[in-house]
Amino acid sequence: MTIQETLERDMTNDRIAEHTSSRHSFRARKFTDFIKKDTADDFEKPEAHICAKDLSVWYREVEAVKKINLGIRKGKVTAIIGPSGCGKSTFLRAINRMNDLIPGCRMTGELKLDGENINSPAVDVVALRQRVGMVFQKPNPFPKYIFDNVAYGPRLLGIRHRGRLMQIVEESLTRAALWDEVKDRLQQNALGLSGGQQQRLCIARALAVNPEILLMDEPASALDPKATLHIENLISELRGDYTIVIVTHNMQQAARVSDYTAFFYEGDLIEYGPTREIFTNPRLKQTEDYITGRFG
Amino acid sequence: MQKNINKSLPPTLLMSGRTIRLRRMVSFFGEGVLVTVAFFSVATVLAILYFVTRDTIPFFQAEGFHEFFTSTRWFPSREHPEFGAGSLFYGSLIVTLGAVLIAVPLGVFAAVGLSEILPFTLRQYVKPVIEILASIPSVAYGFFALVIFAPLLQGQGGILLSVGFVIITLPILLLIAALITGVIIRYLNTSGKMVVWLLLFILISGSGGYWIWKISLMISALQIDSGVNALNVAIILGIMALPTVVSVSEDSLQAVSKDIRMASYGLGATKTETIVKAVIPSAASGIFAASLLGTMRAIGETMVVWMASGNAAQIPTPWYDITSPVRTLTATIAGDMGEADHITGSSRYHVLFALAFCLLIFSFISNMVSEWIIKNNKRKLQGGK
Amino acid sequence: MRLRLRLLTDKVFTSFSMLTLVFAGVFLLVFLGPIFIRGAGAFIFKGTVEHRKVIRDLFERSDGNSLAQEIAATNRARQQLYARLTSFENEMAENRDLRMEYKNDYEPFKESLRVLLGPLPGDPIVVTPRKQYGQTRWDRALVKYKEVMNTEEWDYSNPDSMGQKILVPRRSAFAGTSLERVFDEDLDKDNLKAMLRPRLTFYWRFLTDSPKDSYIFGGIWPALVGTFYLTIGAMLFAIPAGILAAIYLAEYAGETTLVSIVRSCISTLAGVPSIVFGLFGLAFFINTMHVSSSKSVLAGSLTLGLLVLPTIIRAAEEAIKSVPKTYKEAALGLGASKFRTILTVILPVALPGILTGIVISMGRAAGETAPIIFTAAVSAGVVLTPLEAFSNPTQALPWSIYNLCTEHEAVDEIRHVQYGMVLTLITIVLLLNAVAIILRAKVERKLRG
Repeated sequence: MTIQETLERDMTNDRIAEHTSSRHSFRARKFTDFIKKDTADDFEKPEAHICAKDLSVWYREVEAVKKINLGIRKGKVTAIIGPSGCGKSTFLRAINRMNDLIPGCRMTGELKLDGENINSPAVDVVALRQRVGMVFQKPNPFPKYIFDNVAYGPRLLGIRHRGRLMQIVEESLTRAALWDEVKDRLQQNALGLSGGQQQRLCIARALAVNPEILLMDEPASALDPKATLHIENLISELRGDYTIVIVTHNMQQAARVSDYTAFFYEGDLIEYGPTREIFTNPRLKQTEDYITGRFG
Repeated sequence: MQKNINKSLPPTLLMSGRTIRLRRMVSFFGEGVLVTVAFFSVATVLAILYFVTRDTIPFFQAEGFHEFFTSTRWFPSREHPEFGAGSLFYGSLIVTLGAVLIAVPLGVFAAVGLSEILPFTLRQYVKPVIEILASIPSVAYGFFALVIFAPLLQGQGGILLSVGFVIITLPILLLIAALITGVIIRYLNTSGKMVVWLLLFILISGSGGYWIWKISLMISALQIDSGVNALNVAIILGIMALPTVVSVSEDSLQAVSKDIRMASYGLGATKTETIVKAVIPSAASGIFAASLLGTMRAIGETMVVWMASGNAAQIPTPWYDITSPVRTLTATIAGDMGEADHITGSSRYHVLFALAFCLLIFSFISNMVSEWIIKNNKRKLQGGK
Repeated sequence: MRLRLRLLTDKVFTSFSMLTLVFAGVFLLVFLGPIFIRGAGAFIFKGTVEHRKVIRDLFERSDGNSLAQEIAATNRARQQLYARLTSFENEMAENRDLRMEYKNDYEPFKESLRVLLGPLPGDPIVVTPRKQYGQTRWDRALVKYKEVMNTEEWDYSNPDSMGQKILVPRRSAFAGTSLERVFDEDLDKDNLKAMLRPRLTFYWRFLTDSPKDSYIFGGIWPALVGTFYLTIGAMLFAIPAGILAAIYLAEYAGETTLVSIVRSCISTLAGVPSIVFGLFGLAFFINTMHVSSSKSVLAGSLTLGLLVLPTIIRAAEEAIKSVPKTYKEAALGLGASKFRTILTVILPVALPGILTGIVISMGRAAGETAPIIFTAAVSAGVVLTPLEAFSNPTQALPWSIYNLCTEHEAVDEIRHVQYGMVLTLITIVLLLNAVAIILRAKVERKLRG
């Protein structure tokens, strides 16, 4: 626990330092230069959890994600924004190889998780997905009991003992801020929950396998404002323990919950940096236009 | 607090060559099992074709084609057997024709009613009726045809038929009368239209009704010597084929996109005009496929024809006399195999396979055609979007 | 005017298509009505004392003393009739003229009485059960009573039409003899009731009793069990094969030519006439594979299994394809393998849909006749144990229905058995379909909600 806290403090300091020191120098660079150079820098940093290097994702002949370079920091919340069809979901799904499900979809380049390239046929996709959890756009609990939903992942890991499962279920639901609402009806169908509760259940289900990374694909887009707030609070709670990558359409949401923001446009990574900076002082006109709602 | 889930992470995500090979083998094996099972159907179809053909060939080798296809004399158990299947083909043809004449119009109308006219809540109650008709075992239909319907046909056949005739023709007459009246009115262009319309309508439908009445009287005088005959079987087969026609037609009607309907209504068409001029033409090929499938159901049916067709291998005189007993391909196979299978190897045995072969070829062809139509139709509709 | 015409056309067309639906419903009623009403007659009927005797003797169930008392009472009621017959016989034995005159009428009369009441006193004991008992059912007894009271004659007086059947009272044949009084006193309706004692009987054992003397007495148990074996056997084979094939088609198969061939074959298989399946079963399972030396439940089950395979594959494939993709993604996202995903998420969700297909195919397998004619069904036989079922033929409801209403030597005598069988078969099939309809409603609710 303490180690983690220290680590986080370090990283926060690091971020602040980065902010203050590099602002002006960033300004001076050309933007192509900036992308290549800046993210290349991130590769070298020890806290970069996920690193993409010249990563492209192809749908047959269409390049949906174009040679992007990006480092996602450990324990931080990184938001990916951009207009529809800009490749942000595709990139997200590349991280746990969900794109494998789409026929004709392939990846080129490198995508490293803790320094291991996961774009390789030798990667154990099943093990990968246990380390990289995913929450989807629409809440998709299984039509099973609430308990069985959360226990699904642990059971995959071979945990059979009822008491142990119960413990994990309780912890996961508590972390997902759902325990108090469902503790009396664990043996009820999960489809009976409200949309917001279902989404938190899905988060609890993802947490139950104790992943390092949590991918969220517009997790609140199908929810009402109150439920959305719940989810956002939850993301803030989870910050630090997990590396969270969230794709969102909602600028305010990105600004509220994330530490870093990446702006994708038509498969290119346009700008990537600390959220505060991207939103208050974007380096590129394109980014500014998007954030202020002039297009997209 | 999170850390008490002590999952032992694999140190690396990369699998060793051995693991990869193992996994590949397992998935290859697993998929292999699935593929094998899926190919079961292919194997079965081929095996059916093979075994039926294998036992057909000896017959044609021994007896040749000529007699089988051209003669109508079917005496397989005589000392000098004759294998003229003409009368059997006739029997199958006539009962199927009758069944199709009943099933297709009724089925298409019922499908239109189900898919276009009935409100959703009512449809839920009507659909099971069709499903139950489909699920009743053929032997029960046969029992009904033989034990209940045949005596009725024998006793009150004429009256029954004339009532059916009236029920079918009366609405058609009214429709036609209304149409003709409308046309005449448009040319006359008189005042007091309502009265004239009514008078004309009554006049036309009255004269039509008179003819219907005369014909139905003629029919009701009909004497049916035996209740087990082609007519009985055709009616029952028609009802058995009805659910097939209804459900496949309904599917194809449902597949017609809403836009077409909306466009038609938007132009001020009535429901009927929309259905007849817009929906049915778009679904026409599907309806044709439905009729083909219904035909297959009728021609392949065994129990009803075996029990209630009279099993007389003959072409009645005149040939269209549907109230005389007939004998079909399926009933012959079912009925004669009992006597033939003890003497495996004789023409008597192989000729039944020859009959089955003809059935099989017919069912293959019509199945292929209907499938091709349905597939094409689907592509067209999807492409149209 | 034009608009009115169009609206009228619309009305006529609409009501005509409604009429066809009504027609389907009416036919269903006309069809099911008699079968249900007369089929119920196999279970609920007015049973005579003879029925109770049959139950006591052939099935060894009786209500003890009361039956003995009842038999005593009927014997008392029959006593005078029998006595008068004996005295008439004595008269005939003494008087040659009388004997010559009435011999030809008396013997048929006695025979008709035997049919109605069972063996007369002094008759030699016969083995055939049907000769040992009178009419067990009151409705049949009334028919036989008519035959006792009347003789049939043919009237050919009108040469233009076929001979007409007329009934001549038998009494007139014995006019002037001592036997004449029998028709008035001993054979009137009241005494008939006293001699047979009809009573409302609820014979649910019709389902679980074995038939005796080729279905003249008893129930349909062996046929019921045979149908059960055949259906279960077919399912044991078709369910795994069908579901595995469906999983392949829905989850693994791509859009290749090979797969489209598989699909074509499945629909071709669905269109093969059932009698051809029967021939194939005979030629392949019995004559080539020799799964059994002759007809057997195993061969029949395999044939039926092939017959319902396409139905199960299609239903299961539909069900699997209708499982929302998000479930699959969620499971895979949690690190489940494809196999685990199918097993733990997709199949459970698709289960009601798959079950619908299975249940419908069960109804189909239970009711099919043509495929089992050459492969499994026989018209007489005992109840098999599951082990014997592998190599032995069996009775089955559909085949027995066919057999009893076309080939039985006394078709009219056992109408009630035929109706009872049809009712049983239809009830089984309808129940299975009801289950399917309920399951499907559940699926639809789930997918909508």
